[in-house]
Amino acid sequence: MFFLKEETKIISLHPSYFGPNMRDYLVARLNEEEEGRCTGDHFVICVMDMVDIGEGRVIPSSGNAEYTIKYRAIIWKPFRGETVDAVVTSVKPTGIFTLAGPLSVFIARKNIPGDIKWEPNTVPPQYTDHADQVIEKGTSLRLKILGVKPDVAAINAIGTIKEDYLGPL
Amino acid sequence: MLLRLPASLHYPITVTSLLKRPGDAVERDGALFWYIYQTTVEEGDGLGNRVEVKRKFPTRFESTVDGEIVQWKIAKGDVITGPVDVVEIDEPCAHEVQYGGLCAECGKDMTEATYNTEVMDSYRAPIQMAHDNTTLTVSEKEATRVEEDAKRRLLASRRLSLVVDLDQTIIHATVDPTVGDWKEDKDNPNYEALKGVRQFQLIDDGPGMRGCWYYIKLRPGLEDFLQNVAELYELHIYTMGTRAYAQNIADIIDPTRKLFGDRILSRDESGSLTAKNLQRLFPVDTKMVVIIDDRGDVWRWSPNLIKVSPYDFFVGIGDINSSFLPKKQDIGETNKAVKAAKEKEKRAKREPANGEAGKALAENDVSALEQLVTMGGGDDPSLLKEQANAQEETIMHQVEDRPLLQKQKELDAEDDASADGSESSSSVDESQEAAKQRHHLLEDHDKELFQLQDRLEQVHATFFDEYDKKRTHALGGRVAALRGEKAAHKDKDVDLKLVPDIKDIMPQFKRSVLGGVVLVFSGVLPLGTDTQNADISLWAKSFGVIIATKINARTTHLVAGRNRTAKVREATRYPNVKIVTTQWLLDSLTSWKHLDEVPYLLPVHPDDRGEPLSPGSRELAESSWLSSSDEATGSLWADDEGNEEMFKSSGLDDTAVPGYDEDEQAAVHDELKEFLGSDDESESDTEAWGEESAEGSKKRKRGEGTEGEGEEESGEDNGDESDPKGSRLSQRIKRSYERSTGLREVATAPSSASENDRARPSGPQGEEPGAEQAGSQPDQDDGNPENPDYDDDELEREMLAAFEDDDPQAEEEAAAENG
Repeated sequence: MFFLKEETKIISLHPSYFGPNMRDYLVARLNEEEEGRCTGDHFVICVMDMVDIGEGRVIPSSGNAEYTIKYRAIIWKPFRGETVDAVVTSVKPTGIFTLAGPLSVFIARKNIPGDIKWEPNTVPPQYTDHADQVIEKGTSLRLKILGVKPDVAAINAIGTIKEDYLGPL
Repeated sequence: MLLRLPASLHYPITVTSLLKRPGDAVERDGALFWYIYQTTVEEGDGLGNRVEVKRKFPTRFESTVDGEIVQWKIAKGDVITGPVDVVEIDEPCAHEVQYGGLCAECGKDMTEATYNTEVMDSYRAPIQMAHDNTTLTVSEKEATRVEEDAKRRLLASRRLSLVVDLDQTIIHATVDPTVGDWKEDKDNPNYEALKGVRQFQLIDDGPGMRGCWYYIKLRPGLEDFLQNVAELYELHIYTMGTRAYAQNIADIIDPTRKLFGDRILSRDESGSLTAKNLQRLFPVDTKMVVIIDDRGDVWRWSPNLIKVSPYDFFVGIGDINSSFLPKKQDIGETNKAVKAAKEKEKRAKREPANGEAGKALAENDVSALEQLVTMGGGDDPSLLKEQANAQEETIMHQVEDRPLLQKQKELDAEDDASADGSESSSSVDESQEAAKQRHHLLEDHDKELFQLQDRLEQVHATFFDEYDKKRTHALGGRVAALRGEKAAHKDKDVDLKLVPDIKDIMPQFKRSVLGGVVLVFSGVLPLGTDTQNADISLWAKSFGVIIATKINARTTHLVAGRNRTAKVREATRYPNVKIVTTQWLLDSLTSWKHLDEVPYLLPVHPDDRGEPLSPGSRELAESSWLSSSDEATGSLWADDEGNEEMFKSSGLDDTAVPGYDEDEQAAVHDELKEFLGSDDESESDTEAWGEESAEGSKKRKRGEGTEGEGEEESGEDNGDESDPKGSRLSQRIKRSYERSTGLREVATAPSSASENDRARPSGPQGEEPGAEQAGSQPDQDDGNPENPDYDDDELEREMLAAFEDDDPQAEEEAAAENG
């Protein structure tokens, strides 16, 4: 699910950047460091705007200036039970690896409908029901997230396509 | 799942009531039954006294898993004295496939642990199965299922699995930018050779090496090889390169991905940068797997391995993805030098062989240790990172140093030098033309893949012959057994129980190739390497070769890296020993044939030809006795090559000793004296003896190294480092032996008492008796061949006593001389 979240970040600036373009530089730094970051709990999709840059404080002994920046960002926190669209990255006899944006979701064989079978002899290998449903690398899937586990700088998720209206699009 | 009591309970316990009935659902940490246990506790009696009393306490036993109770294995009132199974619980999910700490089937967190957790759920699926993903793990059961499916499929299509290494096996890669320059330059002598070289750029390959270009040379015949082999084998890539590197290579060698699919395992997923493990790809069994790799040590010489000779197109580059691996003990290197010497003497000079061999020798100790360290800590992420950094550094060096350019420059310089010499009088035009025909550094005449294909076909054929044989046999038997029964066997085209094992078939096949060959190396392995466990030895052994250290009647081949070694000399005396170059062994090993030795025979220098032993002679028969006596006196003669040699070359026959009369003994004495007197002709042995210093031994080494005797000498030095005292002793004894070795050569030397005296040690007094002892030693030894142990022990004691005092003095002296 997507949220607009207000967050703060402390950026330390080297004295060589002190000057008229300081603000631009701070924005660039913020965007570079925050966008696309995974906190383990959610993904920062996009920094919307800076609410407050605050006053820079020069740190004694180093000369760096420290800015406490308040900003708003669009974040995505995947939840159990959420339905997402994903792209297949690889298929294995044990299941299907997919990417839903930045989130990698694995669909185990048990969570694939029984009529869609593993077919290793095709190139590339695929899951197929020998009719119109073919799942191979690059296929778009609609899946439901069964479980989410935060890691240090990543989120792992388990998905299923063994429900109505799920599966290849 | 059967729930078992943990060993940590206070046994014996008495079950008082069962809380669940079969069919009931139970939650994790939910109570299953009540029980009473007894223990001693300290209690106060109200008067300030504390007494220990036994008390019974009731408590609950809680479930460690979710599920439904199927059956109780205990009943109310049972007294349990140790861990037993209590209850069978049907779990809704056995968590057999896990992804990143989650059960992939039910989505539960597998890393949760409570006070009640005995074994983490994540241990239920310990096996990594996917080639390109390490977060997916499966249980053994699931792995078996998947693998059996795969095997059925392979058997149905009559294929096996082939694990292919990339670097130096099917391709050769370099990052030397010189290659790029040469590729553009039509005038470059290497232009032709580089035509087939492919290139790609790895953009995000770690900091500091952005946009590094990789140049890839495919091994000749690779395309056909892969096409043909893919019909017999399912191909997997297993490389020490990074993921991105492996993908790029796969794009080059298999653009359609028909051959490899996504069966690519790189070092990012391998878990170790120093070892490859077949279990990573085939966790359950490896019956149908063949490996091709240019290094046997990373596979720990797995029986599934077909070792190929490394492909070395970019001269001197080696394997860019294994710089942290222990240095390869490369025999081929020296060989190439020999081969090159035949073609162009000039080229041989700048071949990496000489310089690198020496370096490898020096690094030998270090790398062995490194190997242990790195192997041990394969899973340590910080170590992995360190190794990856080291790897990057090497690559950076290669980019900066441009080793190929340097080599070509050297080559050109040599060409120029020769051109100047020969054409100094000719016109400018001519010499320019000559400059154009520069020698090219890179040559491309590798035939390995063609041979390899034959071998793989052989293995495939043998495997399926065996399988068919077993299957027809089994089917026939079963039909007979089922005769009359209605349910005849289903036409199941494969039966996994009948699958023969590559690990049996291939070694058996290989062992027959060079079976019965007993070979001795000479001048092949650097000193100090374990002859039994060196790469070449292990490789040879897998073909049934027996590696011996000494030449005797059983020896069939002497594999000589250099000419004119002591062993070559010795081997000439045995008519049945074929003296061949290392190339014979390598070619035989790579072509899986016992090749004819004739083209590989080492031209023996006429001076080295010893008198041939007649097949029936006593010496031949007794040589085996000698080697056993060597073992008996092993502590003293552990690496003493001179021992056996001495007996033979001095012409003394041990079995003849009972009849060894006074006259003969006296004659030997005389000879010995003569020898001692001639210090200038005796390979400076006596000189060294007189000085008894580090410098002296260096001199000796210099003096003898040129005569091809360096092997034993530096062997001595080696021992000297490891165990100064013991080896000093054995060194002296050996020297005394070597004197008698020299007997033959100095037979005509003039004898004089004064010279004899001069030859005596001029060092400190304490050395005198030792020298005498050593001088008379061979006689003693010859006199008591039946009792060598006693003899040597006594000798050792005496000499130790004699030398104990003067050793430090001698060292001081040596230091003084050096300083």
